[in-house]
Amino acid sequence: MKALRWTLVALAVFGVLGLAQAKLKVGFIYVGPIGDYGWTHAHNEGRLIAEKTLGIETVYVESVPEGEVETYIDLLVRQGCRVIFTTSFGFMDGTLAAAKRYPNVIFAHCSGFKRAPNMMSYMADFYQVYYLNGLMAGALTKTGKIGYVGAFPIPEVKRHINAFTLGVRAVNPRATVHVRWIYEWYSPPAAKEATEALIAEGCDVFAFTEDSPTVITVAAAKGLLSFGHYSPMYDFAPDYVVSGQLVHWDKIYVEFLKGVLEGKYTTKNLAHIDYWWLLSQEAVELGAKPGMVINPKHEAALKAVKVKTPDLGEISVYDLVYARLAQMGAPGVSFDPFQGPVKDRKGLLRVPEGFWLSYDALITMEWAVEGVVGPWPGEP
Amino acid sequence: MDWQTWLIGIVGRALAYGTPLLWATLGEVYAERAGVVNLGIEGMMAMGALMAFATAQTTGDPWLGLLAALAVGGVLALLHAFLTVTLRANQYVSGLSLTLLGLGLSGLLGRGWEGIALRAPLPNVTIPGLASIPLLGPMLFQDESILTYLGLLLALVLWIVLWRTRWGIVIRAVGEAPGAADAVGINVALVRYLCVVLGGLLAGVAGGYLSVVYRPAWTEGMSAGMGWVVIALTIFASWDPLQAVGGALLFGALYHLSFRLQQWVAPELLKLMPYAFAIVVLAFVGLGKAQRRRGAPAALGLPYVRGER
Repeated sequence: MKALRWTLVALAVFGVLGLAQAKLKVGFIYVGPIGDYGWTHAHNEGRLIAEKTLGIETVYVESVPEGEVETYIDLLVRQGCRVIFTTSFGFMDGTLAAAKRYPNVIFAHCSGFKRAPNMMSYMADFYQVYYLNGLMAGALTKTGKIGYVGAFPIPEVKRHINAFTLGVRAVNPRATVHVRWIYEWYSPPAAKEATEALIAEGCDVFAFTEDSPTVITVAAAKGLLSFGHYSPMYDFAPDYVVSGQLVHWDKIYVEFLKGVLEGKYTTKNLAHIDYWWLLSQEAVELGAKPGMVINPKHEAALKAVKVKTPDLGEISVYDLVYARLAQMGAPGVSFDPFQGPVKDRKGLLRVPEGFWLSYDALITMEWAVEGVVGPWPGEP
Repeated sequence: MDWQTWLIGIVGRALAYGTPLLWATLGEVYAERAGVVNLGIEGMMAMGALMAFATAQTTGDPWLGLLAALAVGGVLALLHAFLTVTLRANQYVSGLSLTLLGLGLSGLLGRGWEGIALRAPLPNVTIPGLASIPLLGPMLFQDESILTYLGLLLALVLWIVLWRTRWGIVIRAVGEAPGAADAVGINVALVRYLCVVLGGLLAGVAGGYLSVVYRPAWTEGMSAGMGWVVIALTIFASWDPLQAVGGALLFGALYHLSFRLQQWVAPELLKLMPYAFAIVVLAFVGLGKAQRRRGAPAALGLPYVRGER
């Protein structure tokens, strides 16, 4: 009798272990806290959706300093993770080193460019969405000065500011975009003081790259307009948030993990897998909050401003935003913010007429387009 | 842009950014004057920010939020006092643990509070009459937080108490020579408890200011290192409440200028400016040690055990 009982217990234990092994365990390493309501918050939302959709098990570590990513990868591998996502540019080299150390684990690194047979790279990029927001900003500014609070002067942020500025100048060729750097991904006090400095300079519309809604609340307190970034920030200032960039990391997470579950992606074939997902893959969305492309409060103002375009003739900015959104959102993209001719602010022709920028040129962009005002560290 | 607009802008921002620094520094000055270093300020500010936000959002009253921040700062400081005064634990270790605890706990409890705009922020005030004085009006009396004025008032009161009353003598005696204070019948433990808890109360309000006034929203880690600036400012201010006003405002002004001047000066250099300036001033403070008042309290950081010293 006793023996039977032990056998049952053993069977139960093995059964549970067997199930646990059958379930894919996926680890996420975040650079910030999941409560930042920005970058890390968005990745975590994606993780939760992937978990629910695919029935996988996930674990995460938050606020990991960039130099310590390997330690946490070790930890997650010991816990049995077979797939590990690392979600900061600064995690790239640590992830690559770990990929060599753990050839049987699949790694996926966000926002970088290095890969290995068991390490892919992925990014949901906003430059098209920034351009669309720029169109609106250019139409809505009264002072002709638009403020931009930037995190770090790296190619990703510079690309976004450039795309935004190209949008602004497409409808308002005399407007300028004034940039302040805060050298933090997440710092509400720095974002607040940078916004105050831009307000003091006469800026009246704001966009930003920082992982909190600070710029929006500061601008709204002075009655000034802004565009949300990363998470739906409409609720912070329903009268003043015009539109913004929204991300859907879940699209990438579900797609890639489905591939892993189906055996399409293995530890041997990832060296050339790079997800560079934009509007047409629905990894990013234009809007003040999901489903609200343009805040209805500002529709009339955008319909009132008419511009001449080479391809669409005279058109209101409101219609132009939707037209460009359609051109970039459908498969077979027929418009790009960086289509030539594009000059940098020193007068050099960077994209000749009739050309688009290559992926490599986009992700290594250091120059500033015409209309950007302010410091630009690393400007060629 | 003329110099008046510049001056108004800089002083205005210095007051706004300097206010939480001032509140927390005043508290740290008192704790350290009584001989207890509190490195837990950052954690107390983080908890204060969360409690203030959650309470103000739930009740719709920002003052209740600030009261909650005050309370949670006080409770954490009480823990610090218990560990360092009663149990005589290492003050630095205890303080660092409280910072980690406060940051971690506020992150954990704060889940779900992020991404919400505070429905009842504490509005800024403009003082009628005074605000129309040329230059000084817009600089000091327009669009300021009540907490800024309360902070300045508090600094004056705490200065008078510290330097002009018997209580001040008692506090300083406990920080300079706890043995001698004990010998004349002063309850060293009680004085230290009170000063540390006062420090926590004020640090809590400083955190509350961040989430209810400065940027009325909650996000994890929103104290963003201010607690460490406070530790430096305490030394910078030579453990003096009125000098803390100068230190907090100066730091606020430099912080703001590090964004204002980016058009002309490399942003990397500006980013360093407030901190580089702090080092320079600390060096001067070190040179001026001859003046008795400027030095650190002699028993700072040392637990007091009757009969051992």
